[in-house]
Amino acid sequence: MSQLGKIADSVDAYNAHVIAEVARARTDSKFAADLRARWAKIHETVDWTVSPTGTPLPRLALPQTDDPGVIAEYLFGQGLPGGFPYANAAYREMYLNRLTGTGEEPMRLFAGLGLAEDTNARFHYLGTHQKSLRLSTAFDGPTLYGLDSDHEGVLGKVGEGGVAIDTVEDMTRLFAGFDLTRKDASVSMTMNAPAPMILAMFIAAAKRRFGPGCAPNLRGTIQADMLKEVQAQNEVIFPIDASLRFLCDMIEWCVPNMPRWYPVSISGYHIAEAGATPVQQAAFTLSNGFTYTGLLKARGADVNKFGPRLSFFLDCGLDVEYLVLGRVCRRIWAIGMKEVFGAGPKAQILKLHTQTSGRSLIAAEFQNNLTRTAVELMLSYMNYTNSCHSNSADEPFTTPTERYATLASHGQSIIMEESGVFKHMMNMFGGAPGLLILEKQVEKAILEVFREMDTLGGVLPAQEQRYQRSKIQEAGHNYEKQIYAGARPIIGLNKYKSDEPMPSVPLARTSPIKQRLQVERLLAFKKKNAKKAPTALHKLENVARSGGNVFSELVHTVEVCSLGQITACLTNVVGKFRPMV
Amino acid sequence: MSAAKTTRPTVPLRILTAVPVCDGHDSAVTTINIELARHGIEVIYLGYHQAASAIVRAAIQEDVNVVGLSSYNGGHIVFFKEVVDQLTKLGSGDIPVFGGGGGTITKADERVMKRQGTDCIYFAGTSLDTMVAEIKRNYGLVAKPRARFKGDRALARAITIAETESLEARRPRRAGSAGEVARAPKKKPFVVGVAGPGGAGKSTLIDELTSRFLRNNSAGRIALLANDPSHPDTGGAILGDRVSAIYSQDDRVFFRSLATRGSLTGLSAAAPAAIDILKNSGEFDLILVESVGVGQESDPFRILGKGPPLVDATLFVLAPYYGGRIQLQKIALLAGADLVALNKCDHPMAHTARAEIQARLDQNSKNQKLHATTAAKHFDLGVDALFAAIARRGHLPVSAGGEKACSTADPL
Ligand code: B12
Ligand SMILES: Nc1nc2c(ncn2[C@@H]2O[C@H](COP(=O)(O)OP(=O)(O)OP(=O)(O)O)[C@@H](O)[C@H]2O)c(=O)[nH]1
Ligand SMILES: [Mg+2]
Repeated sequence: MSQLGKIADSVDAYNAHVIAEVARARTDSKFAADLRARWAKIHETVDWTVSPTGTPLPRLALPQTDDPGVIAEYLFGQGLPGGFPYANAAYREMYLNRLTGTGEEPMRLFAGLGLAEDTNARFHYLGTHQKSLRLSTAFDGPTLYGLDSDHEGVLGKVGEGGVAIDTVEDMTRLFAGFDLTRKDASVSMTMNAPAPMILAMFIAAAKRRFGPGCAPNLRGTIQADMLKEVQAQNEVIFPIDASLRFLCDMIEWCVPNMPRWYPVSISGYHIAEAGATPVQQAAFTLSNGFTYTGLLKARGADVNKFGPRLSFFLDCGLDVEYLVLGRVCRRIWAIGMKEVFGAGPKAQILKLHTQTSGRSLIAAEFQNNLTRTAVELMLSYMNYTNSCHSNSADEPFTTPTERYATLASHGQSIIMEESGVFKHMMNMFGGAPGLLILEKQVEKAILEVFREMDTLGGVLPAQEQRYQRSKIQEAGHNYEKQIYAGARPIIGLNKYKSDEPMPSVPLARTSPIKQRLQVERLLAFKKKNAKKAPTALHKLENVARSGGNVFSELVHTVEVCSLGQITACLTNVVGKFRPMV
Repeated sequence: MSAAKTTRPTVPLRILTAVPVCDGHDSAVTTINIELARHGIEVIYLGYHQAASAIVRAAIQEDVNVVGLSSYNGGHIVFFKEVVDQLTKLGSGDIPVFGGGGGTITKADERVMKRQGTDCIYFAGTSLDTMVAEIKRNYGLVAKPRARFKGDRALARAITIAETESLEARRPRRAGSAGEVARAPKKKPFVVGVAGPGGAGKSTLIDELTSRFLRNNSAGRIALLANDPSHPDTGGAILGDRVSAIYSQDDRVFFRSLATRGSLTGLSAAAPAAIDILKNSGEFDLILVESVGVGQESDPFRILGKGPPLVDATLFVLAPYYGGRIQLQKIALLAGADLVALNKCDHPMAHTARAEIQARLDQNSKNQKLHATTAAKHFDLGVDALFAAIARRGHLPVSAGGEKACSTADPL
């Protein structure tokens, strides 16, 4: 029962509606007068500000016109920032209020290395560059695959590329010294297949520190998007239906119990980094989002309750389509949610996290990566992303070292605070002719992909036929071929090359001593809980078998069980995922 | 190069590629797989998140020229060494190990890794063409001596030789010619040929049957032969069946991928010889042979001419969307197959299909029972019943009262 065809049709119908309204504004004088009056009112609400060099400016850029056709085109086609269909922005002022201290601070820097205390130290260090508390966690390979650090053959991976978390005790160490219940605190976790276990550990650790009633105060995001895992990032443990069930259990638990939490971050980043084109990224991500919406609705959940808790995560690279990708996605999401899923305004808004492209950063003459990231940051902000991560210039070599992580964070500050681009006036660029052309083209291409997937039966059947994976792999192959054929200029690699030898950069690696320490801690935890663990696992197994909400039980299981123990228990019940090429 | 030499068919280089455990970065390796296959190489792809032991097992059973690893999530120094060491320990230290990992593997790392037995590392920014040319040069000319190997590698090498011989002779050869491992068989295996249209779920079903075999036999071994097409123009192939074969990652399973190398029968020309080699080894209780998912008009397991039959039984697998009753009449295997499975019974069309196919089977009056399976579902009862039917025919043990839930809890 794919809805994708319907969604594509609803966007086309909406576009036709806009054209009709523009025509009506030009022919129906009563309608034109209404629009002019509304337009005048909007202008009245716009405050003025003065740049540091003395130029007075309105805080919102609006088309300078009183042509009712142009007004209609703007209001219905793009929408005011914070107004349907949200092409311009999710909210009215976005970054402006940052200056007065009440607005969102978009910077979130992804960090994770070594053991919990090492990442904790990095969090504290990065925190000195931010007003608000923004902790974004990267986990190591064993944790991402739900394995304990003592699992056979994984020792060398412990603490590499992210932090090693086996137990609730590690989780406690990870966030030591931070008040996670602060109003401006926000914790994000890049965690997928084991997301229910890891979020349960997070809640358990928070309860130990802030008392049993703290869950409603916890704010943040857990990625948990299993569809893009099947399609691109390859961290799937359980069969797809079981993975989706565990995810929906978690979302359904979080919506009433953690109203400030985003229990899923529907991600295109990994799809794009695996090689997809910007259009494919957007089409696959949005269609995954609509699929979750359909699944949750089918389980009886209310779209206006869970809809506002869905969030999105896109990649921003250097290809031209990235100038508008966030804008187009917000618009399609809003129309589809409204027209096909009957969502109200709060559930129509696509809240966007953006990360600059890691794949665009290369080893050869890697200092150029600073410039690449800066350009991508500009594009991300031009799309009015709600939050943003900038990659470090040492991206190709290692988990960011302190020096380059600092430069990455300063890059955001330079654009947002030093430069005047985003400081004074909201929506400087929306409606520019080039952007409008691009938006139209990109939207059209996305809808084409929707319709193609619809003929395959929708996202899940397409996935089973390897549709998304084969498209991504084909595009990834093409991307590399373009580089080596010179069709895609990469400065320092295939153009303007110097003879500089490959630099040797400092690396963030985890020593074998630390890796063994992690194993010792885990063994001590398992020993301490040796009596209680089997009972807890048995209870979990029963809930899983009886079709109960697994997440509500996990919150207890993690008190005495390690990640690996839980993964093994659930695997016993539901089986293993069968990967695809 | 002499003229005589150029007319001889070239034996494709076989390379195993994989991504290490706890690592899902497969974009580089999938690109490299495509490039290698495009240049006439047979790539046996094992997939991402692979344990060193699984990589070593696959390298040995596939008797590859070389193992290529693509590692991004760190720990490569330990991991590459583990693969090299395990290969050496199992008497297959002759298989070189090389790889890449973009910028995550540094020059300094490479020096350490080379000391520990890794052959070479491709750094970030190496062009695809350079890489392919070097791989062909460095590993393509490795002679495949009739060296004396033990265990699975000996079997694997015998099959390699059979592949080479049949490629050169362009006709299937049977036992003896590559008889290094031929001795009085300890036990006689039951051999099942599995055929059916492309994408019907043959491989998935075979893997599910494998898991049932392992559960019902505490000690025996099973062998799987997966035939997949070579690219008609380049001669290369991506043999990816191992990626989805999650239960075959077990030392009791011998899994061999065979590229068809121009054979149009649905089987590699070496398949008959390979079956004999496996049979004569006396190692196995059950052998499952998957044919290429093509043509419904002929039975790939019915070989022309004389000689003993290729398989003891045939299993025909089809999916609900075969295109209607008329189509069913044309499917030769429906008449001849000993076992018939309608897979993908979770499909909306399955209900109708079941009735239509059963009616078609009844026409044969051979008392053929249709097995309704959903291989994609874990613990599917239809697959249990199919396994029981195979086991009965092959006199293999099967626990009474069907199956209990999977007891292996290793999430890897
Ligand atoms: C793409 C990418 C991803 C994608 C992967 C998509 C996919 N399906 O492959 C996504 C976004 C999903 C991802 C996720 C993660 N990633 Co990542 N990722 C990258 C990135 C940006 C590029 C890697 C790539 O594919 N390049 C394209 C290939 C074709 O080119 P290349 O790397 O230059 O390789 C060349 C040669 O080395 C050679 N080669 C490579 N392999 C092989 C093998 C053989 C046999 C041969 C012959 C040659 C060869 O071929 C290439 C052509 O010349 C790198 C950073 C970077 N810029 O390099 C980080 C990077 C590898 N990722 C990293 C990390 C930490 C992760 C995560 C663990 C993050 C987290 N904690 O959640 C996850 C883990 C995902 C998982 N399941 O394992 C780290 C690793 C750090 C470390 N080792 O210390 C890196 C270095 C980024 C960083 N600095 O933090 N990632
Ligand atoms: N829905 C559903 N999908 C299945 C089932 N069995 C297999 N599949 C899926 O069908 C696709 C093809 O399965 P394979 O096992 O590779 O099929 P095959 O017959 O071996 O294919 P070829 O070797 O290419 O001819 C995969 O995506 C499987 O996951 C099933 O019972 N139900
Ligand atoms: Mg197959």
